[in-house]
This record gives sequence, C-alpha cells and structure tokens, in this order.
Amino acid sequence: MRKLGLLFMAIILVVTLSACSGKSSGSNSSSSKEIVFWNPFTGPDGQNMKKMVNEYNKTNPKYKIKNISLKEGDMYTKIQTVVNSGKNVPDLMIVHAERIKQYVDNGMLTSYDDYLSDYPEIKGENYMQEAWKIGDIDGSRYSVPLDIHSFVMYYNKNLVEKYAPGVLDDNIVTFDEIEAAGKKSQKDKITGLGITWVKPNFLSLYAQHGGKLTENGTDPTINNDQAKATFGLWKDLLKEKVTNKEGQNPGQMFLQGKLIFYPEGIWMNNNLKDAKFEYGLTNAPQLSDDKSKLVNWSSSHQFVMFKSKERSDEKAKGAIAFVDWVRAHSLEWAKAGQNPASLKILDDPEYQKMPQSFLLKDPKEQASLKIFDYKYNGYVSEEIDAKGLDIIFGKTPIDKALVNIQKTLEDKIAKDNSKK
Amino acid sequence: MEVPVKSMEPKMKIERSKRKSVNWTPWFFITPHLVIFGLFFLVPILFGIYISFTSWDLVGKANFVGLANYKEILFQKDSSFYTQFHNGLKNTFIFVILSVPCCIVVPLLLASALNAKPRFHKLFQSIFYMPSLFSISAVVIIWTLMFNVNQGPVNNLLGKSILWTSTQPYAWAAIVIVTVWWCIGGNMIIYQAALNGISKDYYEAAEIDGASSIQKFFKITLPSIRGQILYTVVITTIAQFNIYGQPLMLTGGGPIDSTRVLLMDIQQNAFGSGQSIAGIASAMAFILGLCIMIVSLIQFLFLRNRD
Repeated sequence: MRKLGLLFMAIILVVTLSACSGKSSGSNSSSSKEIVFWNPFTGPDGQNMKKMVNEYNKTNPKYKIKNISLKEGDMYTKIQTVVNSGKNVPDLMIVHAERIKQYVDNGMLTSYDDYLSDYPEIKGENYMQEAWKIGDIDGSRYSVPLDIHSFVMYYNKNLVEKYAPGVLDDNIVTFDEIEAAGKKSQKDKITGLGITWVKPNFLSLYAQHGGKLTENGTDPTINNDQAKATFGLWKDLLKEKVTNKEGQNPGQMFLQGKLIFYPEGIWMNNNLKDAKFEYGLTNAPQLSDDKSKLVNWSSSHQFVMFKSKERSDEKAKGAIAFVDWVRAHSLEWAKAGQNPASLKILDDPEYQKMPQSFLLKDPKEQASLKIFDYKYNGYVSEEIDAKGLDIIFGKTPIDKALVNIQKTLEDKIAKDNSKK
Repeated sequence: MEVPVKSMEPKMKIERSKRKSVNWTPWFFITPHLVIFGLFFLVPILFGIYISFTSWDLVGKANFVGLANYKEILFQKDSSFYTQFHNGLKNTFIFVILSVPCCIVVPLLLASALNAKPRFHKLFQSIFYMPSLFSISAVVIIWTLMFNVNQGPVNNLLGKSILWTSTQPYAWAAIVIVTVWWCIGGNMIIYQAALNGISKDYYEAAEIDGASSIQKFFKITLPSIRGQILYTVVITTIAQFNIYGQPLMLTGGGPIDSTRVLLMDIQQNAFGSGQSIAGIASAMAFILGLCIMIVSLIQFLFLRNRD
C-alpha cells in the first residue's frame, strides 16, 4: 500500500509537471510554419480581421497567419508575462500607438530596420503621416500602422436642417454653432450635444486651445489654463442646457431622434445603422471655422514584433510579408468603419463612398488627426476617465480636480524605473 | 479507540527505528491538492509579497526597496498613493459593513419563508437562486437598465427621478442592492439545509408553551443554525472584501471617488493602461489581505464565544 501511494504521488507529480511544460512546448511557435498573430479585435471588427487573415492565407504564403484575438486588457497583461519568460511570444501583434514609446524604452520591441529592404513599399510616403511617425523612434522603425481611428461627430440630418441650417456647409461645426442650435431646440425637448466619452472630447478641445500633455516628453502638464478653458466650455454648455443632463444616455437619445449632435468614434458607425433617420459624419466639435486649426482626436492600431529568441529572421520576414499584404488590401478593414493607414485605400472607389473617408480624402483633414503619443498617455487616460464626468457635472471644482490629476500623474511617473 | 492505539505504540516504535519508514498513505490523498495549492496559491502569494518590497514595472529589473512602498501608502500623506489607498480601503470597509448584514439577513428570511413550504416554494427557490448563476457583468448590465434615470423601472415605481449611480447615498444603495440580489442564492441554500435539520419537536413543544412565531425564530431557529450562520458570516465577509465588478461597472467609482474601492486601485496600478506600478499595488493587496484575515479571525472568535 505504501509503495502504491508513493507510486501514485510520483505519477501525479509527473503528470502535473509535464502538463505544465507540455503546454508551453505544444504551442511553441518556432518550429511550425505559422505566424502567431495577436490582436485586440474581439468586437465586430474581429470578424473583418479574420476575413483578412483568411484571404491572406489563401494566397499560399510561406508562413500562414494564425489569428488570435484577445480581450484588450488581457492581451496587454499577457504580453508582459510572455516577453519576460521569453516563451510563446507572438510573432506579430497589434498594439495601440500610445503604448509604443513605453515598450521601446523598456527594450521590448524588435526593430523592422533589418527587414524593410525586402519590402520597399513599406515606407512613409505610402502611409498616413500621423500614424506612420509613431513607429519612428530614435531613427529606428518599430511599428507599421494598420489604421488611424478618430473620434468625430454624428449628426441627425433632419434636426440639423431644422435647428442649424447651413452649419455643415464647410463640414466644420463649431461649439458656438452647437450652442445656438441647442438653445433653439430646447423648447421642442431636443438636446443639442451629447456628453460622451470624456477623454477624446477633452483631449481634442485641449489641443485646440493649444494645450500639450507634456513639454519635455516626460513631465506632465495638465494643470494649466488650457485645461481649465476646456472643462469650462463643457460646463458652460451643460449649464445652458445645450448638452444632455446627467444620467441620460446620449447614444439612446441620438437613436430616438432626440439629439442633434453626437460625438463618437468612427468605429461606432456600424452600431448606428439601425437609426430610422438619415445621419451623417463630420469633424468633432471645433473652436473655430478655420480648417488649418482642425483637431480630431485619433489613435492607431500598429503592427509590432516583441523581442523573441524563438523568432528566426525568416519568420520575421514572413510576418512583415503579411503587414505588406495588408497595406495593399485594407478595404475589408475600412468596412469595419475604420480608416486604414495605407494611403493606397484612397484609390478604391468603394472606400471613397464610405462616410469616414472624408478624414483621409482631404490633406487638411488628414492633418487634423492627432495622436496623443505621450509616453504616459495611459495614466492620463485613466485620470481623465475617472474624474472627467465629475468635473463637467460640477461635482468637483475644475481647479481642485486639475491639481489632483497633475499630482497623481507626477507620483505615478516618479515610480518609473525605465525613465531615461 | 485510544486503548488499542496505545498498546500498539511500542511495536510501532521498534518498526520505525528499524526501517525509518514514513507512512505515505495520507500523502497520497493530499498530494493532488498540495501540488495545486502550492503551484497556484502559495507560490503566487509569496511572490506577491516579495513584489511588495520592490519597485517593479513587470518588465525590467525589480529593485528591492524594503518597506518603502508600505511606508508610502500608510504614512506619506502627500503621496497620491496614500490618498488612493486610504480612500480605497475606507470605501471597501463601508461596503462590507453595508452589504454583509443584508447578505445574511435577506437570504435567512427567504430561507425561513421557503421552509414553511408555501405553494410554489420550489419555483421561488429557483427564482431566488438564479441570479447567483449570472456573471457580474450581466448582473450589472441588467441593473444599469433598472436604475436608468428616465426609463428605469426603479424610478418609475418610486415616481422619482433619482440619479442612482452618480449621487450619494443612492450609489451605495444601488451597489448593495445589486450585490444582495446577486448573492442571495449561495447563503439561502445553506440556511435551507440547516433549517430542514431542526427537529420539529422543538417547535411543537414551544407551541404548547404558547410561544409566538417571533419567539420561536429567535429562541429555536437562530440558535439551532448558529454554526451555519458563523460560516456564512465569515465567508460572506471575505467575499465582500473582494468587491470589484459592481462599482467598476455600475458607478465607475464615482461620484468623486466615493465608491472607488481598493481593488480598483490595485488593479489599475498593476495592470492599468499605463506602465505597471506593481510594487505599490502588491503592498496594497497585501494589507487588504491582512485586513481580511484579521476581521475573519475577530468574527470567528466573537461568534464562537457568544454562549
């Protein structure tokens, strides 16, 4: 019996341990002819990405793509662990533009420099500039953009005609115009402007006021007059009853035809298709009519390769072959509501008809797309998202909140060991 | 049983000294659990405690900083981590104090009612138990609609337009209501089983003596299921200390961070959208763990010695 027990224990131990190690060697990618591709597309856009990968695999490339969509939060947590352990690092991955600086500073990314000579079309001229320059750090290329997605504004065509005729002639709606329209529509219980996701709304207006998240690339600058003016304007609009009230859902109001202007991301377009009225897409609300001063908050999905000893040069080239293919075949991605970063899309008549294409067709519109690629953008987002609504709805005074945000950012940044 | 064991002792001693053998049989029974416990529980805990003594971003090298993280969150008043930690811990305690009694009393009352075997009691039992099967995200989505200012049934029933999720004290009320609704099932099943085990004789005797039903409840029912109540109080308290999903999705920690609980800060510091501040997060988590242990211990001692 004792010997039997010992044997059993040994078997269990062996099984457990081999199960653990077996898992890692089982999905070990280095030996197979597959490019493991991680991305955060778990929403409807995941279907579009899947289609693109399938299309690519049908072209019989040397390395086929294995598409793995992970929940965004999980993906960003997981990548740190796998890079630390050096095992199962994906061959290719999509990350958001704002994170790239941090990854490069931590020495986590492989540069594209050694491989790009084989893919001459992956070059600045072929991509939308704001998205392309994100990957250029200290003279090396660390990422290639997939898209540039912007936070714009939807409008109800009937209501605009009724309360703000003519404001869309130049395709720029100013806050003044919104205010006038909202005051007119009040008596009919129609709301002028929706208070939506605070972060992009804030950052876009903050940039129009000339505000910057940092002056020297490290220290945050948020407690300033520009930020005060930004929150001040939103508070005023609330006070004038131009915006929706607290607790109301602007998305619902827009679909019910009770909201004129609805600031949201271009990626929301597919969700609004059930609307029973005609609606359009235009720039985010602006301070001035001047086209050269336009700002539309944007972010970008970028292809990167995290450092891995298991990835051979051949394999890296196989991954970049896919990136290059996507550059030439990004219509499917535009169908997800996104704006592909590859300018080749502008030759496509089908894309030209898509509502979000106005942002790429005109060079001045292109110049309005602004990515906030401050290294500590993540901290800023968390703070604005946590405190923004309290500020706009008047629960915390603007001054006090900005002091608080500035202090929190400074304290968090002080903890960064990798700081240069 | 003791006598034969004692008589066997000399013989066993001889055997041990002869072969120095260990009895492996009990090991064989606990090995699976021990391996899993060690791999997935003990090792991570020890590693987490180690991280709390370092400054680390989960990527580079972890710098050992001794007790600096603890000093900062506990005593350094000008640090925003101090504010975070104290506010988070305070809110966590508020939530525990508000929700644990409700999570005990409501299921107990429902269990007593079901125990009287009214009509359709099986049906009601299933209805009461059902919320426990939902995930917290589903629960919060349902209740966000319920608490909606204009279209929500709660405000319509009350005939008011209360901002349930963004003004106090309604935000706490909403969180507690959601929590109680969600976790009725688990405790209710335990109480039902316990109530079934009470002998009918007690109640009959009490009835003959002319006891009212309230008296019966407090003099017979409660004392008879004290063990189960003790167990559920401790388990529920531990569970509620780990509150995270309800405020995260229902109130977003607002208004003005008044429902921001400690786990939200821990999560954001360790796995937020910025660079990880794992050292501070681990220190916060360790102190939260200590709090849970101490509170459970006090409850255990207090409830056990109340006789």
